[in-house]
Amino acid sequence: MPRIDAHLHVFTKVTPEFPREVTPICPAEREEPAEKLLDVMEENQIDQAVLVQIGGTSIDHHSYLLHCLNSYPDRFLGIGVVPINHPNPADHMSALAEGSGIIGFRLFELGGPRDIFETKDVQDIRAYHIWKCAAEKDYVLWLYPRSIDAHLLPYLIQEFPQVRVVLNHLGMTPGKGKFSLDELGRPQIQVSGYNLNMHTTYRLARYENVSVHLSGQYAFSKQDYPYKDLAGWHHNLLNDFGVKRLMWATDFPWILEKPGYGELTSVIEELLPHLSESELADIMGGNAKRILRFPNRNT
Amino acid sequence: MIRPTPEEKKQWEEEGYLVFEDAIQGDQLKRLQSAFDYWAAECKDEWLDRVEAGEAAATFYDIPNPLEKDTIFIDIIDHPSYYGALMEFTEDDVILLGPQVRTVAPFPVSYTGWHPDVGKDNPLHIKVQIYVGDVPANGGEFGFVPGSHKPDSGPYKRPLFQESMPGHKTFPGKAGTAIMFNSCGWHASMDNATNEPRKSIILIYEKRTPGRIGPEQFAAISGHCQTPERRRLFSLPDLTS
Repeated sequence: MPRIDAHLHVFTKVTPEFPREVTPICPAEREEPAEKLLDVMEENQIDQAVLVQIGGTSIDHHSYLLHCLNSYPDRFLGIGVVPINHPNPADHMSALAEGSGIIGFRLFELGGPRDIFETKDVQDIRAYHIWKCAAEKDYVLWLYPRSIDAHLLPYLIQEFPQVRVVLNHLGMTPGKGKFSLDELGRPQIQVSGYNLNMHTTYRLARYENVSVHLSGQYAFSKQDYPYKDLAGWHHNLLNDFGVKRLMWATDFPWILEKPGYGELTSVIEELLPHLSESELADIMGGNAKRILRFPNRNT
Repeated sequence: MIRPTPEEKKQWEEEGYLVFEDAIQGDQLKRLQSAFDYWAAECKDEWLDRVEAGEAAATFYDIPNPLEKDTIFIDIIDHPSYYGALMEFTEDDVILLGPQVRTVAPFPVSYTGWHPDVGKDNPLHIKVQIYVGDVPANGGEFGFVPGSHKPDSGPYKRPLFQESMPGHKTFPGKAGTAIMFNSCGWHASMDNATNEPRKSIILIYEKRTPGRIGPEQFAAISGHCQTPERRRLFSLPDLTS
């Protein structure tokens, strides 16, 4: 069974060929190219990976992602980004996905009423047309929604049960003002000790088309690797979603320096030590291959 | 104070719950509903801000510090309809841990799956859920697995669908109904397929253990606790001490 890293980022320095947005997390001169990723994957017997767009939402901003997918078609699949306010999201999504290796799109917000008591019509949610397009074109939706949008998810999932949904980073939904960068310049999300997502995203387990990443521990944990304070969250996700709907991921490159890519390849065994060999293999790649339809790797 | 009948005691021991229909009624119920609606509306914006900040769940909210907001919320803590049963089952030594004055939004999935609150080795832990509005079937009503509180019951596993829990019983009811249950038993809120929120109050009690609740916990309402019994219930120092 292949070992697949189901969520990470690659990017280059800003160049005319590969334009991107410059942000504190991706300064203009920083680069974390696909070849560097392939080296650490090789060192750690990781076969394939999902490259998730970073550095902007426009078609041009996706240039490096598209270049990597084209260069290594048997190693990578891609996730693009579609802005919630795009006037014609279907055009944007089709332009990026057709023949490119981009299999889906990441959303950070859903754009509905902030008050759950006012959620009446699913078509009033601004992301509705993105979901509709995903349903028609069989795109995956890659979700890391804001806390204030989490209550909208079941309405969209019920409306479009054919859409494969992947909840990023333990199904967490970051709160407003809770995002910062740590001393290594990587994301840090302040979360409540009591996991509020048990009441929203974890309750989505009943929908068979919803899967969850076991990733991003470094951003939520108050401890160093292996992030034992998050073991309970992992157990709850395993209990609710089952072993066939969990996907391991590293969130490369943010973990390269601390704790290191190699350590991340063992984080599931550390946090879910009672998994059988075949269950671990499912989480480490089997599920990603099946759910995301990874091609066989050329030998 | 009304003590439970032998039949009620038997049901409590064997099944782990009791239902008190019309536990709160008439003008007192109207007063409770009025206070509930007023304070729920007052507190809603602050709750939404906390949801946005990732500090509160989006699917339900509780009125903060309700005992300090209206004395009706104090008066239901030792309400005669069910207080006798609480005293009986705790050998006349019950303490309040806290109230949850809770509004649960209509939502395609229940806000909480099946679970016990405490382990079976915990001191007796009792909840009383009071319906403030009518709670119909499929309206977020309380669900309980009779007998799941017993030491030799189970093991149980949380199912994906609320209605799939083996052996469960659901408790739709009129406003004013109170359901008392042993909270080491498996329970849940059923799905709410209606367009109406579920309004209920969950009172949490426990058989007293030393130091469980300090005297500061309910000090703010000390003035409303003038009898020795009520002061013990709220873990407040005796007025003569």
